[in-house]
Amino acid sequence: MSLRVLNPNAEVLNKSAALHMNINAAKGLQDVLKTNLGPKGTIKMLVGGAGDIKLTKDGNTLLKEMQIQNPTAIMIARTAVAQDDTSGDGTTSTVLFIGELMKQSERCIDEGTHPRFLVDGFDVAKRATLEFLEKFKTSVVMGDEPDREILKMIARTTLRTKLYEGLADQLTDIVVNAVLCIRKPDEPIDLFMVEIMHMRHKFDVDTRLVEGLVLDHGSRHPDMKRRAENCYILTCNVSLEYEKSEINAGFFYSNAEQREKMVAAERRQVDERVKRIIELKNKVCAGNDKNFVVINQKGIDPPSLDLLARAGIIGLRRAKRRNMERLVLACGGEAVDSVDDLTEDCLGWAGLVYEHTLGEEKYTFIENVKNPRSCTILIKGPNDHTIAQIKDAVRDGLRSVKNTVEDEAVVLGAGAFEVAAKKHLIDNVKKTVKGRAQLGVEAFADALLVIPKTLAENSGLDTQDVIVSLQNEHDRGLVVGLNHHSGEPIDPQMEGIFDNYSVKRQIINSGPIIASQLLLVDEVIRAGRNMRKPT
Amino acid sequence: MREAVTVQVGGFANYVGSHFWNFQDELLGLADDPDADPVFKNAALDMDVLYRSGETHQYMMLDFTRVYPHTVLVWCRLVLECMLRVHGGIICRVPWFFEFIRSGNVTRSVSKPHGRNLFLQSLVEEGQNRSSQKSVEDKDLIDCLENGVNFWTDYSKVQYHPQSLYELHGSWTDFDKFDNYGSAQEVVSDWSQIEEMNERLRFFVEECDHIQGIQFIVDDSGGFSSVAAQFLENIADDYTNTPVLLYCVRDPMTLGSSRMNQRESIMRALHDAISFSKLSSFCNLMVPIGPPSLSRSYMSLYLYIQDEKPFHASAVCAAAIHSITVPFRLQRTGPSSDLAHSSGNLDIGELVHILSDQGRQNMVTALDVAMPAPSLTDRDAMGNIEMKLHSLTPEISDEDEDPYSVESLVVHGALDRGGQRTSISQVKDSVCSVYEARETKPKFSHLSASLCPLPVPLPFPSIFRGNIGRHGEILSDHAEESQAKGSLDIESIPMAARLRSSSAVLPFIERRSGSLQKHGVARGAIGSMVLRDWGFGREEVEDMGEHLAKLLRPFHPEMDLTSDSD
Repeated sequence: MSLRVLNPNAEVLNKSAALHMNINAAKGLQDVLKTNLGPKGTIKMLVGGAGDIKLTKDGNTLLKEMQIQNPTAIMIARTAVAQDDTSGDGTTSTVLFIGELMKQSERCIDEGTHPRFLVDGFDVAKRATLEFLEKFKTSVVMGDEPDREILKMIARTTLRTKLYEGLADQLTDIVVNAVLCIRKPDEPIDLFMVEIMHMRHKFDVDTRLVEGLVLDHGSRHPDMKRRAENCYILTCNVSLEYEKSEINAGFFYSNAEQREKMVAAERRQVDERVKRIIELKNKVCAGNDKNFVVINQKGIDPPSLDLLARAGIIGLRRAKRRNMERLVLACGGEAVDSVDDLTEDCLGWAGLVYEHTLGEEKYTFIENVKNPRSCTILIKGPNDHTIAQIKDAVRDGLRSVKNTVEDEAVVLGAGAFEVAAKKHLIDNVKKTVKGRAQLGVEAFADALLVIPKTLAENSGLDTQDVIVSLQNEHDRGLVVGLNHHSGEPIDPQMEGIFDNYSVKRQIINSGPIIASQLLLVDEVIRAGRNMRKPT
Repeated sequence: MREAVTVQVGGFANYVGSHFWNFQDELLGLADDPDADPVFKNAALDMDVLYRSGETHQYMMLDFTRVYPHTVLVWCRLVLECMLRVHGGIICRVPWFFEFIRSGNVTRSVSKPHGRNLFLQSLVEEGQNRSSQKSVEDKDLIDCLENGVNFWTDYSKVQYHPQSLYELHGSWTDFDKFDNYGSAQEVVSDWSQIEEMNERLRFFVEECDHIQGIQFIVDDSGGFSSVAAQFLENIADDYTNTPVLLYCVRDPMTLGSSRMNQRESIMRALHDAISFSKLSSFCNLMVPIGPPSLSRSYMSLYLYIQDEKPFHASAVCAAAIHSITVPFRLQRTGPSSDLAHSSGNLDIGELVHILSDQGRQNMVTALDVAMPAPSLTDRDAMGNIEMKLHSLTPEISDEDEDPYSVESLVVHGALDRGGQRTSISQVKDSVCSVYEARETKPKFSHLSASLCPLPVPLPFPSIFRGNIGRHGEILSDHAEESQAKGSLDIESIPMAARLRSSSAVLPFIERRSGSLQKHGVARGAIGSMVLRDWGFGREEVEDMGEHLAKLLRPFHPEMDLTSDSD
């Protein structure tokens, strides 16, 4: 073989072996993730090297945490993770769909079909399905006041697949409110403006939305107030630390007095800045009971803290860089880089600022702000794995709401879309295709059914029964999904089960592409490693 | 109080760090121990510089666990080796679960957990019942460490703050190839991990009233150097006026790998050049550490080091780093007052200023160490302190006749011939006379001295030869080659260490600059493909080449003239 001559170390898997390696890898990955789909899916427990436990049914988390070494499985996992990056959900569905496409193709290939025909069929079917999706979707008009109910339904659908019902319903409101809080008309939503903080404290149901910010540090001076109402907030990035003169020069002094003077002069620079802030405080807080809080991105050293404390100002140092941006959005005002020309306009406002101590850790809450454009989801949980689980779920929930706001459309869930699309492909599209590419369309159509099938399987229902009854309903012209409690067909619209339009579109788009590429592989060449043996 | 924050990145850096923190822990313990040598109490170093005070006395340190390759299983999940800190100082390792997917069958396989070794077990027992008598003999503990240190956690007796350990995660590829600059691309491009690291650091910096600087120990032999470079870049951004002192440590074995084909050796050369260029551009002072072989060096007169054990080599590196940090912790005094137990306080900023802003204005310094330091009052031996300093920096020239060199010498715990502690003024005098006698004197030399020697903690490797006494004195009448001595026989040793910014490091920089030019920048160079794989564009490589050329410039004043003209 010519390749052997080029590189004797390369290992070559040819034709059918290569194809089967790919198919097996896809099926293997599908098997792993299958059980996690849907609200009734089971959970996986991941135990890390350090004994850290992670309980999750989120496909994205699973794929990231599991270190997959099979090259084909890596490709599929990457597609799925990319799915998550772009649309925030549907990782498990992508893997299942790709796995099923490969499984369906395997049958045809074993019967002698050339993969090329299947791939052609996939292509036709993909385009047809996407067209069908456009017709099938339910438009939602966002306008200035988005329909809270529909957003809640979509958030609930996502969250219930990741968490237990009670908690999911609680998070639904939090997530929807958070997105609506940061949403600006006619601008893309920046989810980073929702800060996610976690505290190992109390129970998971104490998770709440803070309209404002939670900082993970407190003031460093014993005399500063721990709680203040009606506060002006000064957000700044000014060093309030004593720094040595940064020049290459010598200072010569001949007696102690001169040295003292030099030290005082160096110190004065910092004091000057602190005084400016104190002046502003005195100006705006004179004669009323308002308070003043300084939040600084740079450091504040003890003498400066002392000056601030004596003036009744609360000072926090070394704030997170991103929090500076969020602070301005939450409280108003602007972030100042120098203390020259400070005016009242630079200041933000918060109704309540208080410090909360948990063991050794301190948290500062900035709450009751006016017109917040940034907010914090404070996740509480008794242990780390609960927190991690909620964190992942919140992230996905936020994105599904964001998607809906941006798509202005939703798709009926509970498998309704997949069954309808299959019917469309078989009834209408297949006939328009000539030759053996029909097999590809058929394989694609069958593969779509993997979603309702898996949903049924995870609910402990009989897969055949469910599919047949769903298809019957669809044949009668009703659009129905699966009720995973009873196994009966239901109308997803009535139950409020909706999926993201962009997620579905992404799955339909990316699944067949990667499956086609894997099917068309006729040789795998890999240098230096043996692929068939585990060691 | 001027705090220093320490950051450790990478495998060997953590080996070094473990030893380093063991020293600190030992110092803390000895200062409180009424039975210990009073010098530890009286001449105590200001430990608050390195430690933060928490309710449970936790330590300030940021650190990254090395992800460890697990044998040769081809497509299996990597094994993360890590330690878990439970309340009350229990350090243990736990079994992990891993799963790998191969040709469709899902195979579950649980690897055999590394049990806790004897040393860790004894720590756990100590944590549980402090009063009970020891169940394991110290001797056994040492033997067990000597033979079975696989990870840096195996001999660490320090409690770390939970925020301080950070494990890099998520790689799709195999980690046994984590040996070049490009291999950590995925980690570096994962923005959330870098952010998390910054968060951890911010947590510690926020607590400091007056941060004097950041000490950064990095294992620059593999992909960790790109992680570190990214991290350093963010530090330079966020803490503009905070000086960063960077130690690049290397396992002697990684340098000595002999059989390399051409491609591998080019990769290695490029990796060295690029990590040097990247790391040096984001720090204020750089100290490369990692001699090719300690066992064959001059130090082997007193030390018995097995190169293949990172446990041994890292101990010497850690001792040297400890000595360098001594001046940061001495009491700050006025210019005229003379303290009985220390002199020559410096902070990181001043050290950086002394070494890199004067003389040649060169920021790459060589580290020399004498372990143990020779006894001082002896006229002859003292003349030798210069000679006895052995360089830990690789690839430097031996001649030391640079009239522009700038040095900072630290001597602590020095002894006289009779094994008595010498006073600070004696140390000063003898060092002065050494320098007087030298032919080419350095342009500037700073001396820091302290009475406090380097304590030898229990988990320190047995690397001392028979000719070292209980307090680190050099015995002249020792019985030839008995067993190697360890922490049971030796309590403390005097140390001398020196940072030297001189033309001696020229070959080190030249080699890197040269290999980047040859393999990377030159037209049609073989390495340009490698560099592209690592994610560097042509212009970026040229920029790095220029940066290296700039580092060389201080050594060639004549080059300066030409560059000024354009």
